[in-house]
Amino acid sequence: MTQPEPKSTAAEPWPVRVVSQKLGAWVAKLGWVWVDGQVAQISRRPGSTVVFLTLRDPSADLSLTVTAHRDVLDAGAPELSEGARVTLHAKPEFYPARGTLSLRADEIRQVGLGELLARLERLKKLLAAEGLFARERKRRLPFLPQRIGLITGRASAAERDVLMNTRRRWPAVDFRVINVAVQGPTSVPQIIDALEVLDNDDTVDVIVLARGGGSVEDLLPFSDEALCRAVFGARTPVVSAIGHETDAPLVDYVADLRASTPTDAAKRIVPDLAEERQLIESARGRLDRSVIGLLDRETQRIQAWRSRPSLARPELLVDQRAAEVTALRDRSARGLDHRLRRAEDGLRHTLARLRGLSPAATLDRGYAIVQRADGLVVRAADEVKTDDILRVRLAKGELRAGVQEHG
Amino acid sequence: MTDEKLSYEQARTELATVVERLEAGGTSLEDSLALWERGEQLADICQRWLDGARERIDTARAARAEQ
Repeated sequence: MTQPEPKSTAAEPWPVRVVSQKLGAWVAKLGWVWVDGQVAQISRRPGSTVVFLTLRDPSADLSLTVTAHRDVLDAGAPELSEGARVTLHAKPEFYPARGTLSLRADEIRQVGLGELLARLERLKKLLAAEGLFARERKRRLPFLPQRIGLITGRASAAERDVLMNTRRRWPAVDFRVINVAVQGPTSVPQIIDALEVLDNDDTVDVIVLARGGGSVEDLLPFSDEALCRAVFGARTPVVSAIGHETDAPLVDYVADLRASTPTDAAKRIVPDLAEERQLIESARGRLDRSVIGLLDRETQRIQAWRSRPSLARPELLVDQRAAEVTALRDRSARGLDHRLRRAEDGLRHTLARLRGLSPAATLDRGYAIVQRADGLVVRAADEVKTDDILRVRLAKGELRAGVQEHG
Repeated sequence: MTDEKLSYEQARTELATVVERLEAGGTSLEDSLALWERGEQLADICQRWLDGARERIDTARAARAEQ
C-alpha cells in the first residue's frame, strides 16, 4: 500500500497473488481486538500445537474460526469445552495459501458463571430502562386462540406437557409447532427465526416459548438480548414457559405472559372447556329462573286484575241498575196507591155531602113526596086529573093514592 | 295504535286504568259495558303476550335439549 496500484481492468486483470496480498493487507488493518463469543466447536489435533475453535455469536447465525497455540488455551481456559462463553484477544489473519480468514488469539479467557450472571444483570437493567418489561406494553392473550404457535425442543417433555395439557382443557385446540434447538450455540437464531415465522402467520394468535428445566447455562439462550428484543417486537402475544417455577430468564420479563412451567402455560392459553360449560349452564339456569319468575309474576298480576269484581262479574253492572229500576218501580207503585186512596177519601166525602142533601129528613118531619105515574113530582093541583093514581113517598115506605077531586 | 301493536306493558297499564275507572263508577251503563269489554280485550292481549313468551321459552328449551 505504499504506492498507488493501477486499477484492474478486463484487459489488465490482477493476478491472484496481488488480490491475495491486498486482502491480507486490508484484514491486517483491523489489528488486535477483544472478542466475545461462544465456542461452537473445538478441535485439538494430536501432535499439533495449534488449536482450532469455531467461535459463534450467541445471538446470530455467524461464526469465525479462531486459532490459538495450545499454551494460550492451557493458560486461560484449560477446561474449555463446546458451548462455553469466551472473551479472547485476537488479530484477524488472512491465509494466502487457501484464501481463508481466521482470528489468531494470544489470550483466551473462559467467562465464568459469575461473570455471565453479572452480564445478565446489566442486560436486565438496560432492557428494563428501555421499557421492554413495561406492564402497559404487554398484550392481552385471546380468550380462546384459533391457533397456538409453539416453539420448543423436538420430542421434549416441554412439548408434550404443553400439547397434552392444552388439549385436555380444550380438545379442539389447534397448534403450529416449530421444533428448535433449545440449548447450545444455534438455539437463539433458530428460536428467533421460528418466532418470526409464527408472528407472520395470521392464523396464529398466541405464541408459546417452552422449554423444560435445565442448568443456568442451559437456559442462557432465553436471556439473550436479541431474543428478548425479538419477543418484544413480535405483534403476536408471546407466552414464556421456561424451566421451573424458580427459573427467571430475561425473556420471562419481556414476554406478554410468564407461565411458570410448560404445564402452567397450557392453563394460561386456553380456558377449561368443562369449567366454561358449567359457567354457561349456570348462567342459563339463572336466565331461565329470572325470565320465568318474571312471567309468573306478570301472570299473577293479570289474574289479579281479571279477578277484580269489576272485570270478573260484569253482571254486577246490570244487577245494580236492575235494582235501581226495581226500586223506582216500587216507588212509582207506592205513589199511585197513595193517589188512589186520596181519591177514595174524596169520594166518601162527596157522598156524605150528597147524603146531607137528601129529602129523607124532610119526610121524617111528616112531609110526603107525590109523584105522577110518569115520575113527575107534583107541585100544583092542576098537574093531576081526577082518577090519576099517584105515588106517595113517606119517610118510611110509600103508598098509592087516587085523585077524587081537586080544586 | 291498534291492539296488535300494544306492548305487554302498554296493555297492562291500560287494563289497570280501565279497572280503576270501572271501580270508581259514575259512568253510563253503555260506557261501563264498553269499559268492561275493553278490559276483557286488554286482559286477553296481556295473556297472549305471556303465553307467547312461555311458548318461546319452551321452544328454546326443547331445542337446547336436542343439542
